[in-house]
Amino acid sequence: MKIRALLGCSAATLMLVGGAHAAEKTLTIGVADALTGGAAVYGLPQANSVEMAADEINAAGGIAVGDDTYMLDVIVYDDKANPTEATNAVRKLIDRDGVRYILGFCCSGATGAVASFIEYEDAVMLVGNAAERSITTQGISNLVRTRPPADYTGAAAGAFVAKQGHKRIAVLGALETSFYASYVEAFEEEFKKSGGEVIAHEVFASKDRDMSPQLTKIREMQPDALLVVGYVEPAAFAYRQATELGMDVPRYGFTSGSEEQFLRVASSEQMEGVWDLRPTELTLQSTTDAGLAYHANYSERFGDAPSPSSPYAYDQAWALKHAIEAAGSVEDTEAVAAALRELEVFPEAVMQYLPVEGKMFDQNGQAYTANGAFQWQEGHWVFVEELPSDQEAYSRFLSTVN
Amino acid sequence: MTEILQQIINGIAIGGVYVLIALGLTIVFGILGIAHFAHGSVSMFGGYLTFFLVAQQGYPLILAILVALVVGMVLGVLIELLAYRPVRNANHINAFIVALGLTMMVEGINLQFFGAEQVVIPTDAGRVFSIGGVTLPELRLYVILAAAALILAMTIFVEKTKTGQAIRAVAENRDAAILMGINVQMIPLIVFAISTALGVAAGVMVGSLFAIAPGVGEGLVVKGFAVLILGGLGSIPGAVVGGIVLGVTEALAAGFISSAYKDVIAFVVMIAVLLLRPQGLMGRA
Amino acid sequence: MPRKQIFLLIALAAFIALPQLISVKYYLHLSILALIWVIMAQGQNLIQGYTGYVSIVQAGFMGIGAYSTALMGSHFGLPVTLTIILAPLVTAVFALATGYPSLRVKGHCFAIVTLAFNMVIFIVLLNFTALTNGEAGITGIPKPGYGRGAWIDFHDRQVYYYFVLIVAVAMTALAALIVRSRIGQILLAIRQNEDLVASVGVASWKYKLFAFVVSAMFAGLAGALYAHYQSFINPEIFSVAQSLDAILAVIIGGSGTLTGPVIGAFIVVFLPEYLRFADSFRLILYGLILVLATIFMPRGIVGLARDIASRLGAR
Repeated sequence: MKIRALLGCSAATLMLVGGAHAAEKTLTIGVADALTGGAAVYGLPQANSVEMAADEINAAGGIAVGDDTYMLDVIVYDDKANPTEATNAVRKLIDRDGVRYILGFCCSGATGAVASFIEYEDAVMLVGNAAERSITTQGISNLVRTRPPADYTGAAAGAFVAKQGHKRIAVLGALETSFYASYVEAFEEEFKKSGGEVIAHEVFASKDRDMSPQLTKIREMQPDALLVVGYVEPAAFAYRQATELGMDVPRYGFTSGSEEQFLRVASSEQMEGVWDLRPTELTLQSTTDAGLAYHANYSERFGDAPSPSSPYAYDQAWALKHAIEAAGSVEDTEAVAAALRELEVFPEAVMQYLPVEGKMFDQNGQAYTANGAFQWQEGHWVFVEELPSDQEAYSRFLSTVN
Repeated sequence: MTEILQQIINGIAIGGVYVLIALGLTIVFGILGIAHFAHGSVSMFGGYLTFFLVAQQGYPLILAILVALVVGMVLGVLIELLAYRPVRNANHINAFIVALGLTMMVEGINLQFFGAEQVVIPTDAGRVFSIGGVTLPELRLYVILAAAALILAMTIFVEKTKTGQAIRAVAENRDAAILMGINVQMIPLIVFAISTALGVAAGVMVGSLFAIAPGVGEGLVVKGFAVLILGGLGSIPGAVVGGIVLGVTEALAAGFISSAYKDVIAFVVMIAVLLLRPQGLMGRA
Repeated sequence: MPRKQIFLLIALAAFIALPQLISVKYYLHLSILALIWVIMAQGQNLIQGYTGYVSIVQAGFMGIGAYSTALMGSHFGLPVTLTIILAPLVTAVFALATGYPSLRVKGHCFAIVTLAFNMVIFIVLLNFTALTNGEAGITGIPKPGYGRGAWIDFHDRQVYYYFVLIVAVAMTALAALIVRSRIGQILLAIRQNEDLVASVGVASWKYKLFAFVVSAMFAGLAGALYAHYQSFINPEIFSVAQSLDAILAVIIGGSGTLTGPVIGAFIVVFLPEYLRFADSFRLILYGLILVLATIFMPRGIVGLARDIASRLGAR
């Protein structure tokens, strides 16, 4: 995995050396993300997609600033989704490699650690898949995030499930992980508005694979529906064991797992009818031309389909290009950070962003995508409908959170 | 009532896995005095290997398990010879640090060969039995039966065979065993081979019933030692009783007290036993 | 021993000069982390190296120190300097409660029981979200001193380096005092032969508990310094893996010596930097080093250096 990233780097460098003109300069950008360990499922595709975006930007003529043209060079460091490692990686990028623009960031703990000091650095931080809300509530002016916070999606999911007519719902999830907890919190608030009630909050840890005790307890409470919230690896077991315990209530979830990931654990019959209520990330049925091209290019280059969340990082690279061109400087990070917040959604974006006051990022530096309801039907995730999302209202709410 | 029964059934399957892990640990500890911390990771290696043979090489499950058992026994013997034997006469903490180092190595090897994504050993057992509202998936039933068979086989081996008697003799009194003409150089190798085979069996069970992923082995070995402390160090009946008690306690704790703190509750039970009955539930005072 | 004092002075001078010699600030950052690890490792050494009991809960105690200093600051508005001093005391209370049952078993089982405690601490930090904010962690932990731009500004990494250096030297000196006292002699005797110590009428459990609690206080202090340096903590960094690093630091450096943990701490922090090329093999390599070092170099780098020195001296 690492080797592939390195090869990507050197290939880009070679290209630069080979085709360098007099006015061409190099802008080195950094990626800090989980390349190994459990979170590599999210981090590695993000790192790959930044490399791919950088090559595409270079091939399209680089970044034009005044008379100069900058070609991108990418340095990738592994943060293992660990806060100390992430701090080390970013310190190294800034202090040793002289990098000013740092992308990637799949996971909340590591991202939170970096966010706590980035404000005081001469740098701009672009966060990807990390969904913890507090990352964009601290008023950090040199930070933006492409993925919406989990509670924004949770509220939309709550409204959707209430609409299905359920009154008593049981929650089983990784509630110790705060962005899952905040999803459930917002879900509950919306769900209550139409007279619903959450009758159980059962927890599984990220390493748990036996949820039958929790499910047995839930079964006794006879809920109308089940909501499973957590990483795909344990969540798949929750779905399977629910059927093994003979529960036949509707099952909703927030897991963002791929078909292969679920089928490794549960049979397609056991998954039939399960809903996934999540941001409308990369799915071949709901995407634009940019998304189709991204999927094809990524698959060809890395020999693997891109993970649904990887375009969050791809879009960071293009957002950065447009912001630097708008700011007219690569040195002035304050101007680039300000330009990011003025940016409109650009045609290369893969995710389908919902602008706030016409801008891609709101004043908190937060972007919003549409949310969707997906259902497992005969072995596949099928996009059924958009969830009712209100990004303008959520953005106003986010500004009040501290 | 169905709820309690269901929870006990839920706990027995995982308890069976704990028993197998704990049996492997307890014979090593009882006879050699080593806390074989790498046992969990080695067990998971066996599970991974089975997965690899079934899912990627197309072996039938039974054949894959047999191959994994044999490879596991060889690995166990090598570990004893190369890692533990050189520190046998040193301060006892050295053996434990070797065990920690071995754990890192085996975890690293597992990661290198089998990747970070969780793997599930595919089986055909998909039926679910239901009696009066209490459900039991077919696979869990097989796991419980297989664990029971292995426990029985192990007991017969230790109690009835000549080798088993020699092992017990060494555990009771090493010097006397030497005088009786028992080959004390061979005994640790046999013990490690048996221990690792039991561990591999547990690894296969975890891999088919649940999943194998980085860190699972370390979690299991800690549970295995908790069983030892519960049941009594070095005691075979203690491992059986302790394993079932721990599995059922966890299920009941998750079902009736708190799913977030079920592991904490299990450890609290262990600490309570330590304070009230330091020799364990089945240990001799 | 004048030769020993000369060595000490040279080492101290090197540590004082270090920030001036470092041109890339990143290495200053790592040096601060390494000094915090020196405190951790000195604590680990008291229980592991001198008393002969492997404790696998040091990272858990580090976490208790880190969370208690951060929470006392944010909940009660106490000044940072005070919470850093209080953090080891809070840790000591937890260490007393865990040490008492743990020390009822000996040897390997003690290690396992302490490991279970580390897991308990980790689970509670993760799940007690009302207090700890769970996996998202605590952000914006303030630095000591009078804020940005003050005469002594702890946001300046050089300043923080010297701050941690002073604490690390003081804690190493404290460890030296303990080891050379009567208590230290009894701890060493327990390591050699616990039954013998008990047979002469010494209540060895009191001394073991003392060593356990003091080592936990070292870890708690290290955790507090870490929290205020990084300004961010979450449970991840206080898991069992970090406790294993503490053991590694003591073994590699030289257990039962005062210089060993210092060397070991720097190795544990800096080695990963130089093993990046072998990223995926790192775990295997670490394990191999640990096994080989225990078999062939049981007294660590310091022990090896002493052997070489005495051999040269004998000639």
